[in-house]
Amino acid sequence: MENILEYLKEERSQEWRAEIRKSMKAKERTSRERVKMPEEDPNVRNKSNIEVNSGLPIENAILEAQRCLDCPDPTCMTGCPVGINIPKFIKKIETKDFLGAASVLKETNGLPAVCGRVCPQEVQCESTCFYTIKLKKPPVAIGYLERFAADYERESGKMNVPNVADSNKIKVGIVGSGPAGLAAAGDLAKFGYDVTVFEALHEIGGVLKYGIPEFRLPNVIVDVEIDNLKKMGVKFRTNFIVGKTASFDDLKKDGFEAFFVGSGAGLPRFMNIPGENYNGIFSSNEYLTRVNLMNAADPDYDTPVISGKNVAVIGGGNTAMDSVRTAKRLGADRAMIIYRRSEKEMPARVEEIKHAKEEDIEFMNLHNPLEYYADESGRVNRMKIQKMELGEPDASGRRRPVPIEGSEFYVDVDTVVVSVGVSPNPLIPKALADLKVTDWGTIVVDKETMQSSIPELFAGGDIVRGGATVILAMGDGRKAAAGMHKYIQEKIKAN
Amino acid sequence: MPDLTTNYLGLTLRNPIVIASSGLTNSAEDIVELDKNGAAAVVLKSIFEEQIMREADHRLKKAKEDGLIYSEYSETLDYIDEHIKEKELGTYLDLIRNTKKKVMIPVIASINCISAMEWTTFARQIEDAGADALELNIFVMPFNFDQNSIESEQVYYDIVNKVKDLVSIPVSIKISPYFANLGRVILRLEEHGADGIVMFNRFASPDIDIDALKVTSAQVFSHRYEIANTLRWTAIMAKQLKMDIAASTGIHEGEDVIKMLLAGATVTQMASGIYKKGPEHIVEVLKFVNDWMEDRGYNYIDQFRGKLSQGKVDHPEVYERMQFMRYFSEIK
Repeated sequence: MENILEYLKEERSQEWRAEIRKSMKAKERTSRERVKMPEEDPNVRNKSNIEVNSGLPIENAILEAQRCLDCPDPTCMTGCPVGINIPKFIKKIETKDFLGAASVLKETNGLPAVCGRVCPQEVQCESTCFYTIKLKKPPVAIGYLERFAADYERESGKMNVPNVADSNKIKVGIVGSGPAGLAAAGDLAKFGYDVTVFEALHEIGGVLKYGIPEFRLPNVIVDVEIDNLKKMGVKFRTNFIVGKTASFDDLKKDGFEAFFVGSGAGLPRFMNIPGENYNGIFSSNEYLTRVNLMNAADPDYDTPVISGKNVAVIGGGNTAMDSVRTAKRLGADRAMIIYRRSEKEMPARVEEIKHAKEEDIEFMNLHNPLEYYADESGRVNRMKIQKMELGEPDASGRRRPVPIEGSEFYVDVDTVVVSVGVSPNPLIPKALADLKVTDWGTIVVDKETMQSSIPELFAGGDIVRGGATVILAMGDGRKAAAGMHKYIQEKIKAN
Repeated sequence: MPDLTTNYLGLTLRNPIVIASSGLTNSAEDIVELDKNGAAAVVLKSIFEEQIMREADHRLKKAKEDGLIYSEYSETLDYIDEHIKEKELGTYLDLIRNTKKKVMIPVIASINCISAMEWTTFARQIEDAGADALELNIFVMPFNFDQNSIESEQVYYDIVNKVKDLVSIPVSIKISPYFANLGRVILRLEEHGADGIVMFNRFASPDIDIDALKVTSAQVFSHRYEIANTLRWTAIMAKQLKMDIAASTGIHEGEDVIKMLLAGATVTQMASGIYKKGPEHIVEVLKFVNDWMEDRGYNYIDQFRGKLSQGKVDHPEVYERMQFMRYFSEIK
């Protein structure tokens, strides 16, 4: 820790940083209003897949960067799960060295364009910004600036492909191409390993592709990062299920020395209420995967989802918001969120809730489904809903929803998306009897090295955390890459 | 040889010995043993409403400690109580299905509930899994100082109404004796559609260790002397009710079973006696009942069931409290 503080102090004392601090009085910086993110018109965007936030123009990015006080004790960094050198990249923007800013980001974060879009900065770095905690003012828009720098680099055509060490010809396998897997792959490639990423689906990107819709995270952003990894020598094998297509033993025979498992939490959960098996009731995973990856919105494709006119989405998290906003874009007249607590308790990002409201999404907070009904063909056509009120707080500090007796009523629905959480993907734990897992079904790992109970197997992301954010998953991937590197090198030395 | 066949909750039982909801009835394998030794039916270990709420809280705390689940943004954690409920219920439904596959005797499921909330929907899934009947073990804390007794009793009626609306299998209600007017409450439960009453629930009791200055748990098992209260209420209610009575608490031996049948019970529920002596104890109990009936020339139970209930005895006041007080006042 002391080393990090020393390093930050040294960085901050560099001449260019000192100069930029002196260039404007602190009072002038703090008197500025936080910039606003330009957004597409809600009535246009809710009929298309156009990205909702269009990104800061250069002049606004510089204005926002000027708000940053370059604090001697950058508390914002304590809120960043991967410890990005936040003041340094922001000051690079202030000096108009946008490529330099991107390069600072990439020191610790392989996917800044993704994180700038989907990270919940309001509870991470921005919640610990000096403006938030001391000045009680809106924080520096760290997320907007992160996205700006990353987008600038990509659009400049000067994407920096990190240097990779000479090949050591040691084969390592990555299971899953989500954020954890991609981060691990990048670092292992840098160390000189022969990296192969195995992906069960036909598209690379994991949850970044199948889970997060185009209007929030365009696929092109992810593809650029994947291309970069390919340029670094990382190989990708799609439609490959480790544990089914080939076992770990098969892969070991094939020369793989170690593995990183980032297979995510793709097993949907339901509420186990009557009628939940009727046609037209999806898990959010299935619904979003069909739309995002299988062209389900196009009736000419084999696996369409019916564009429901009355769509109910159960849940209050980001996946619920993604699902309900997708339903609206597919043409729903009535796209409803049915959430059993109040808006205050919703786990979704404030920004996502705001965007959903602007897009004409109906919020039925303090409501919970009780039962579904179907027509004679077994297709859901109605649901029974109960009104709730908030009782005593539970262990999470949120007030527990309590049903109001006699408040039940019916709503016509033709599509229901259940978005009440996920379980870790059980494929890998099932394939390996010796692998230690928790009661939650998550893989048990050493928190420093991410090594599992099977020495050559490392893991991170949702398969370890149950339900993480992109940045935490990436942090795990990087930590695991370092752990694997150490493990393999020690093994070589021992032999 | 006397015929011990008994009709309880519309189910034909081979004798009046039902194994009460307990740790004895928590696995299909254990239930097979009970069946082999002659148990007529089993009430499965309860699935607890409160326990699941507590488990949800425990999980939330543990997840935070471990930093495993990123709680602020996890939909999984937001619905953790639902997921725990789903998991617990799934395990319970498996217990019903497995038990039904392995034994021929009726399997009565049991829900321990404190409210008429979303839990009642469980009843239908329990019915679908193949339970022959459902015992609702209801206990609304009698020390809710903000609730009067009418409000507290209403919870019981609401639960019965809801569950009876949802299922077609018979529903019995297991209650505690803690009511201002117990007799009236039992009658109302019948009016609301209960098919049987189980008297009474036996709670884990507290004790105090005066050396360690600690609150401890009192004796877990019942004693035979605890039979009196159940005996009294069985005898009092037998003539009042059309629904079946299952007598519970303190019934350890064959003699106790006969006492309860004489008082008017349809069946008896046993647990502590079998915990102490093993499933083979059922054989002894049944032998005692059988011999007793043979000695007195009874061919079937209805010939003597309720013979000593309050309506049939010469001095019905013997079951009433006034008489009880007078009896003790005579002790010098």
